[in-house]
Amino acid sequence: MTERRSISEEQLHAYVDDLLDEADRRRVEEFLGENPEAAEMIADWQSQNDGLRSAFAGYRKSSAADLQLVTMSGNRTRSLRASRLSLVAASIAIFALGALGGHYTPALFEKSELAQAYADALPQEAHNAFLVYASEVRHPVEVFADQEAHLATWLGKRLSIPDLKVPNLQSLGFRLVGGRLLPVVGTAGAMFMYEDAGGQRLTVIVGRNPQNQSTSFRFASAGDIETFYWIDGDLGYAVTGEISRTTLQKVAEECYRQFPS
Amino acid sequence: MSPSPDLPNSERATGGETEDLAPVAFEARILALLPQLRRYSRSLTRSDTESEDLLQDCVEKALVSRSQWRGTNFKAWAYRIMTNLHLNAHRFRIRHPSATIDGSEIDDLAMTSADPLESRRLMQSLANLPAEFRVVLTLVVVEGYAYQEVAEMLDIPIGTVMSRLSRARHALREKMREANIIPLRRPL
Repeated sequence: MTERRSISEEQLHAYVDDLLDEADRRRVEEFLGENPEAAEMIADWQSQNDGLRSAFAGYRKSSAADLQLVTMSGNRTRSLRASRLSLVAASIAIFALGALGGHYTPALFEKSELAQAYADALPQEAHNAFLVYASEVRHPVEVFADQEAHLATWLGKRLSIPDLKVPNLQSLGFRLVGGRLLPVVGTAGAMFMYEDAGGQRLTVIVGRNPQNQSTSFRFASAGDIETFYWIDGDLGYAVTGEISRTTLQKVAEECYRQFPS
Repeated sequence: MSPSPDLPNSERATGGETEDLAPVAFEARILALLPQLRRYSRSLTRSDTESEDLLQDCVEKALVSRSQWRGTNFKAWAYRIMTNLHLNAHRFRIRHPSATIDGSEIDDLAMTSADPLESRRLMQSLANLPAEFRVVLTLVVVEGYAYQEVAEMLDIPIGTVMSRLSRARHALREKMREANIIPLRRPL
């Protein structure tokens, strides 16, 4: 990656760390424009930087025990007067820093824990629902596709999504079979089932996510069954099928496009 | 390049280069620096508890060694103390695979990023870096030091700083790409 315009790896680091002057930065940007592989690496490094900074930003704060930490530990030979004065100085410093520290409020860790638990449970439940319902011949769904409008209103009401749309996957060769209400991670959720011309089925699940945090797309495999899932704000989605990952990803992307953002 | 992205007020509070060496000011200097030291400490360690222990050790060491501070750049001096305390405990101990961090130990980290899963994976990858690499990465990325400043603080050649930074970034990237992530885009 370094040969063509003699950009060294050191310069790439300096670019990511914003330590280059204007001319060098432009040279690196030109290089990256012509070297997509290097550009991809740089993008990854930049997102590492963002991730690290945001993970630790919240720790830059004072603590109620700081004063004690500084005055009680170590050196015990100071005179009483010196110690009093340092307390005064220290209090002033604490006050000033308290004002600064206000910007950073770390997220409660319980919140990320719950979000993690939800993201773990979602694909598992989607997988189970697929196993149970996709094999049903006569009653795979509660409401069939001929009542699509009713299906959308009913499930939308149960999930408190006023404008719930049933994704249309015709362009990918899958027609709607119907839908049903089912529990998704402990609350009311919706399942839509689709079928292609050959009878191959897939399911789309929508559930409420009380944690309201987003994730990127990811997939989980169990046997031949693949699940794509993602969390978009207060809703979690999962697409499951016994079909190729490529097809399933297309379905997931189509659903993502059609569901309200 | 400024030595750090820190807020100017706190720089003033630490009183960097002035010569008001009255012993009374020393505690106040440390106190004023504590929030930054706390962040640095947390970025080196794997849990809040470990982090507060390191912070406490650092404060004690600084108080005991106060006569060794030469009156300039208090912040770099305190950072060096913390770095050495940490490295002495972990020097070149590349973690045995069985000791690999699985995430349960990093639970108490405040996740502020939008994507909690990504954030968690990044912390796991970070936790498995050798301490030397992590120190350099953290000083550059989180604390905003220039490469030369890191070299001086750690007393190593700048080439070593660069190679550790490089190895840290490549290792993190490899870890992060291992998993099942596909960037999410809403086409319109």
